[in-house]
Amino acid sequence: MLQNPAEARRLKTGTRILLTGGGTAGHVNPALAIGAALAEPGSEVLFVGVKGRAEEQVVPREGIPIHFVRASGFPGARPSPAFVRFLLDLAVGTAQAAATLLRFRPDVIIGTGGFASAPVIFAATFLKKLRLSKARVFVHEQNAVPGKLNRLVGRYAEKVFVTFPETLSLFPGNGALTGYPVRKRIGHVAPEEARARLDFTVPEGRTVVFVFGGSQGSRSLNRGLVDALGDLMPHAGRLFVVHGTGLFKGGGYDAEADTAARLATRYTEEERARIATFYLSRSYFHDIASVYALASLVVIRGGSGSLNEVARMGIPALVVPKANLPGDHQVANARALERAGGAEVIYEETVLSDGRLVEVLDGARLARRILALAEDPVRRADMSKKGRDVLGIDAAAEIAHHVRHGRASTVIDPTLVPAPTVVSNAALLSRLEKAAAAAGRSYRVEDVVEPRDLAWFRSRAASLLVHDEWEARNLGVKLLGLLDGTEKVPLLLALLADRTPAPLLQRLLGGDFAQVGFVRRNVYTALARLDVVDAGVEEALLAGFTDPYWEVRAEAARTAARFAGRLARHVEIVAALGKGLCDRNLEAAAAAAEALGTLGGERDALPALLALADYRFWKVRAAALRGVLSLVERGEVRDREKLKQALPGFLLTSTDFRPQFEMKLSYRRVLEALSRGQEAS
Amino acid sequence: MIFWIGKLLAPFHAFSFLRLAEYLSSRSIGAALTAVLLTLWITPKVIWWLQRRAFVDQVRETGIPSAFDKAGTPVMGGVVLVGVVTASCLLWCNLGSGYALLVLLGMVWFGAIGFVDDRAKMMAKSGDKGMSEPKKLLLQGAFAALLVAVLASPWTPLPAAESARLHLPFLKTAVLDNPWFYFPFVFLFVLLVGNSVNITDGMDGLAIVPSVFAISVLGVFGYLLGNAIWSRYLFYPFLPGAGELAVFASAFAGAGIGFLWFNAYPAQIFMGDTGSLSIGGSLAVASVLLKQEALFVILGGLFVAEAFSSQVQDKIGIKLLGRRLFARAPLHHAMAYNGLAETKVVVRLWIVAGILALAALATLKLR
Repeated sequence: MLQNPAEARRLKTGTRILLTGGGTAGHVNPALAIGAALAEPGSEVLFVGVKGRAEEQVVPREGIPIHFVRASGFPGARPSPAFVRFLLDLAVGTAQAAATLLRFRPDVIIGTGGFASAPVIFAATFLKKLRLSKARVFVHEQNAVPGKLNRLVGRYAEKVFVTFPETLSLFPGNGALTGYPVRKRIGHVAPEEARARLDFTVPEGRTVVFVFGGSQGSRSLNRGLVDALGDLMPHAGRLFVVHGTGLFKGGGYDAEADTAARLATRYTEEERARIATFYLSRSYFHDIASVYALASLVVIRGGSGSLNEVARMGIPALVVPKANLPGDHQVANARALERAGGAEVIYEETVLSDGRLVEVLDGARLARRILALAEDPVRRADMSKKGRDVLGIDAAAEIAHHVRHGRASTVIDPTLVPAPTVVSNAALLSRLEKAAAAAGRSYRVEDVVEPRDLAWFRSRAASLLVHDEWEARNLGVKLLGLLDGTEKVPLLLALLADRTPAPLLQRLLGGDFAQVGFVRRNVYTALARLDVVDAGVEEALLAGFTDPYWEVRAEAARTAARFAGRLARHVEIVAALGKGLCDRNLEAAAAAAEALGTLGGERDALPALLALADYRFWKVRAAALRGVLSLVERGEVRDREKLKQALPGFLLTSTDFRPQFEMKLSYRRVLEALSRGQEAS
Repeated sequence: MIFWIGKLLAPFHAFSFLRLAEYLSSRSIGAALTAVLLTLWITPKVIWWLQRRAFVDQVRETGIPSAFDKAGTPVMGGVVLVGVVTASCLLWCNLGSGYALLVLLGMVWFGAIGFVDDRAKMMAKSGDKGMSEPKKLLLQGAFAALLVAVLASPWTPLPAAESARLHLPFLKTAVLDNPWFYFPFVFLFVLLVGNSVNITDGMDGLAIVPSVFAISVLGVFGYLLGNAIWSRYLFYPFLPGAGELAVFASAFAGAGIGFLWFNAYPAQIFMGDTGSLSIGGSLAVASVLLKQEALFVILGGLFVAEAFSSQVQDKIGIKLLGRRLFARAPLHHAMAYNGLAETKVVVRLWIVAGILALAALATLKLR
């Protein structure tokens, strides 16, 4: 065990370290922190990044030379101009990186993800294969769900350092838990000193809640907090809310001004005066360490950087992860910390407003969660300890230890490493579909999905409804039906109402609307599952009976049949179904006939159904008979003799039959008998 | 083999009856009879053997064997087809003929691809997890490229003047003589036709009978075009040696009929991809060698319609437009959707295929 070859390669002074990673500050800062921990007197450090991104400003400020390579984000592997550009950039970038590597001759390469690091790692792997480089390659992943490139690049690295234990399972063999390298900027400040340093005073004996959506701020967090203040008012004497709105300006949103305006419109002057006794907002805190020192609770976004910052300082967190990011990594981060016991998670809702996705945080819910934590010091102390336990490692030092000695400084029990917690939408759908098929009518989503995840899953599914690709919208529709997302019915109806025509080429090939046939059909399937009958749904049903696509007409008829007895516009719907019997498509006609049998009566349905007696397709004739049967069973038919006389008019020849294979029947009976015996014993 | 034995021994008086072995007609009949009898004899054993090795049709969703569905029926009957046709051809064909060798190679090559695909499905215990589509196409493309290379080389069995000519039905002269068009066309033709039977093979007996019709008509073409007098009389290019394709076609038709004996509804054995791809490969190569590529639209009209409907439905409808363009696809599923029982769909499509085969035969004289 001690003959670890890596150990023999201890770093000497004069080590040449190449840092790469970027695109956003979230990738650059960890790289710099690791670099600082690794660098010793005499070692040389070089940063490789992309021009025009965060690293261009941050890195020179640290006095580290920077080289630029070409790179762009992965647009998805489908033929598109963006994909061609990506490949081109990757090729050129890798060549540039190879040139840099050959000149700088690094001993150690640290990649922290983001697309900037890809060309460097590819080039390094390539040069190593050619024996032109001896550099040892390491990768650090900040999020619980690794980015696509890090996942790929991780295979070639000597080690992949991960922040959250959940991520280890994705890098079997070379993953190592180190935590998140924080730059040593935010030191520890004693509360008394903090009070002295801050330019505002917090009354004695208050529980300080620090709400902060990052330096740029977060709209849904800011708005949600303003809404929550009303519910927090009765607790003004015990609370003090410090709010960092963020500096964001642009795109129709100005973080600070919007927050002030929302306060002004939501609350009366009197209320605002009360709020001022326990609420303070600033666009930015220059001395954030002092604010942290006073805070007993933070409400933050799920970015890995801020999560790690507060966990290390032992501040319990209420995390509002931003939804719909690649791999849902903020959610994964938040859940990882929640699982460890250091945080609680509250999900935003994704709602549609003027056809655009808007994330909304419910103020009342936020207030409830803040109060619950603010008034439970025992729980907070527990969270503080657990958060520190899981994310409190000095990551940069730990990584340096790994690089120098080839192993961890402490041993982690592998049985404690949890599996990833985030499920993809597609995987979720197949799980739900399987459960629904097995349970039939007794299907309840709560049996399949953990109740606390439901809101998040629904909100995630709803956000798919405005996706550019219809396949994604379709997925969202199916998910909402199976997730029992009753409150999202208006969104589903909005899809049906959207009659934007499809692009010309698609219309020439037989397409109709941008909300394609499958999406519309599945909306009706979802509506039937959600079992909501209101004016909007009935309107949609009536529209569905005349949809240009036959599967939609058929599904609308089946859905209407499920709502029997609850339809306010019953007469209209029965009349429309009567017209549907003449449908060109036999499935739609059959569905209309059956629905007519469940909804109609002797006067409005029976004659129409009997008129189908010699319809061309026997499937429609059979459906008409089923419709008649359901009329009889419901006691709608009074003149039974007349019906008896009419029935022989049905053309009974059928060209289908159902075979029964004696052999297989016996075989199945044996199997069934065996499984019965098993249950009994 | 018998062809050579006949050649060798016929000069001796005692074996003079072996002169028959030189006649295409007698060798064709011999090949067909051998194939039928061999198939009837061997298939029950193969069914038993396949069952033993669990090479049976896989249940798709539920794990419960149903009394109605067909899961559990031995698959890979195509192995019998390929094996019997090969054996019969080894006996009766002139193995020195490039025509016979190329078409046999096409059948075996495509059959082998199908075999690997079938086996993958068995191993995965799922009807949906066969060989990947690109991999299949790559292997088929390799054969198509090989065929094109042989046709473009001096070793082509076709007369040199014909090598890059494209003939159309009803027209006496070739419409095009351009290798830059013709050879890529042949490449695509082999890929498309090679896979078309695969899509048709979805109901008991549905693929085999139209295949027998089609290959028989091609056999007739081979017999006539390989005959100097007939080809001149019908205004076709004379293809010396193409008569061997008649022997091959007879063997194939014989094996097909023998297979139908067991494959007729309700089937005791399925041909699997092994069968459907080998049939597709044979039809493709035989059409190319006889310069009757364009005729395939009529001759294999059923296969074309099945493949076309399925591709349009899947690629344009479901993938691009997000809707079904046909009620169901391929064709035989659409008919079942309309309420026809499987047996009825199959017989109706046999009738259609028969009419198309006759129409294709009629083009011989209509020029």
